[in-house]
Amino acid sequence: MAVHQGIAHEEEFEWGVNRPSGAPDAVEFVDVHKTFGKNHVLRGLNMGLPEGQVSMIIGPSGTGKSVCIKHMVGLLYPDEGDVIVQGQSVPALSDDDLFDMRKKFGVLFQDGALFGSLNLYDNVAFPLRQHTEKGDEEIAEIVNRRLGEVGLSNAGGKMPNELSGGMRKRAGFARALVLDPAIVLFDEPDSGLDPVRTALLCELIKEVHAENGGAYVVITHDIMSARRVAEYIAVLWRGRIVEAGPSQELFDSDNAFVRQFLSGDSVGPLTME
Amino acid sequence: MVRSVAERAFLPTRNLLEEIGDMMILTGRTVVSALRPPYPYGGEFVSQFLFALRLCWFPLLISTVCFCYAAPGLQAANFLQIFGALDRLGGFFVLAAVREIAPIVDAIVLAGVAGTAITADLGARKIREELDALQVLGVDPVKNLVVPRFLALMLVTGLFDIYAILFGMFGGILAELVKGAPLGPFWATFFANASTVDLWGSVLKTTLYGAIIAIVCCYKGMTASGGAEGVGRAVNQAVVIAFIGVFSFDYVFTQTLLATHPNILVIK
Repeated sequence: MAVHQGIAHEEEFEWGVNRPSGAPDAVEFVDVHKTFGKNHVLRGLNMGLPEGQVSMIIGPSGTGKSVCIKHMVGLLYPDEGDVIVQGQSVPALSDDDLFDMRKKFGVLFQDGALFGSLNLYDNVAFPLRQHTEKGDEEIAEIVNRRLGEVGLSNAGGKMPNELSGGMRKRAGFARALVLDPAIVLFDEPDSGLDPVRTALLCELIKEVHAENGGAYVVITHDIMSARRVAEYIAVLWRGRIVEAGPSQELFDSDNAFVRQFLSGDSVGPLTME
Repeated sequence: MVRSVAERAFLPTRNLLEEIGDMMILTGRTVVSALRPPYPYGGEFVSQFLFALRLCWFPLLISTVCFCYAAPGLQAANFLQIFGALDRLGGFFVLAAVREIAPIVDAIVLAGVAGTAITADLGARKIREELDALQVLGVDPVKNLVVPRFLALMLVTGLFDIYAILFGMFGGILAELVKGAPLGPFWATFFANASTVDLWGSVLKTTLYGAIIAIVCCYKGMTASGGAEGVGRAVNQAVVIAFIGVFSFDYVFTQTLLATHPNILVIK
């Protein structure tokens, strides 16, 4: 068996290869560093995620993918470097401007992050009530349409704790879309789902993106999801980009790390360490 | 080697100082958010106020009556009886119950009952990423979650102080009756020593205790991490830090009050 068991073999492949996507960047990371205690999570991350496409940030667990999402929406700030969202530097925004900027985003958190004290309907209606002057009838029309799109038409009266993991994710997806955001972020939408439901959720992401457009950013370490959905892929490891580019180019890449990760091979520079 | 030993030795101190600094910043943000329009927290404020009221009234009643009956009541009465000065128990109750025991028992009950509930609630929301979701949806968690709890705990702790003083006095009366002494001299020495400074000092002190408890408990809840175990740890830390904060503040407040109002030092 030829599995590497020594130190990580960073020298065996090229780092930081950014292939052009052909579209302007919706989100750009410029030499971003982030440290938590002694844990240096992002180490000079340079990454652009294109407008109008479904992008995937993929990489092994604990490599800083979710930290990227939190930087995009200003829940975390870089220690060094800059995060630019549609031309605005997120760390430079005042609190008020940051709250305004966040209206551009819809975020699907790992477990849906539904508000436990509100039923499904009120969860999905929450952003509309918070940020728009729409009346009850208009809100009901939008919420019911979004719940219908994710297959939860009849579950509006249920509380989050009455739903399965998959239903919570779909409800979170409906809530993320309800303000027609320009950028939608998905934090591991496939975690905790069986393969069939993961496939269905991926189809749903593709359908909704085809209908609504915008920049979708999906974080995952599931290669099948990447094959199904991604138009642009950024492979992240140890807080840096290994290679990023249009998905087909990545799947055909001769970079040893990218090839190993996208084929799920045990042989290559990525080891258990 | 030396550096790593030094880092290990000073890391807890650095973390502690960072945490205290973060709590100070949260206090500042809470006060600013409370004063700056808009004011969307009215409903949550009422619900938190009623929640604390409902949870705390009975434990506080039992605690103040029992504690004041036993400690300054029976113990002090035994001591005073030796000198044939049982009538001085009323005056002693101004020092013991009004100035110290009622505020401290009030703070302990509020931190232990309402404060822990706040930490557990916010901690669970943090673990479920609800707080992140709120922020992403453009809702400021400080204005919408911390401010109403801060104001509700301040108000409820201040009001409960009067309640604790009344039931504390009841404990003193019980002790006096158990000793077979008439209540007239008790009230006479009580009112001879009591002043408005004692009352407003006590209420102001407990209102500020409420602020300390709210900030500590909200902070620990909002920074909880590590799943259900992390929430349990946050609750435990919140109670310990809130008690340390309250007792330390008691020292500072009492010293300041006695220095600025020397007339209350005189026992009549």
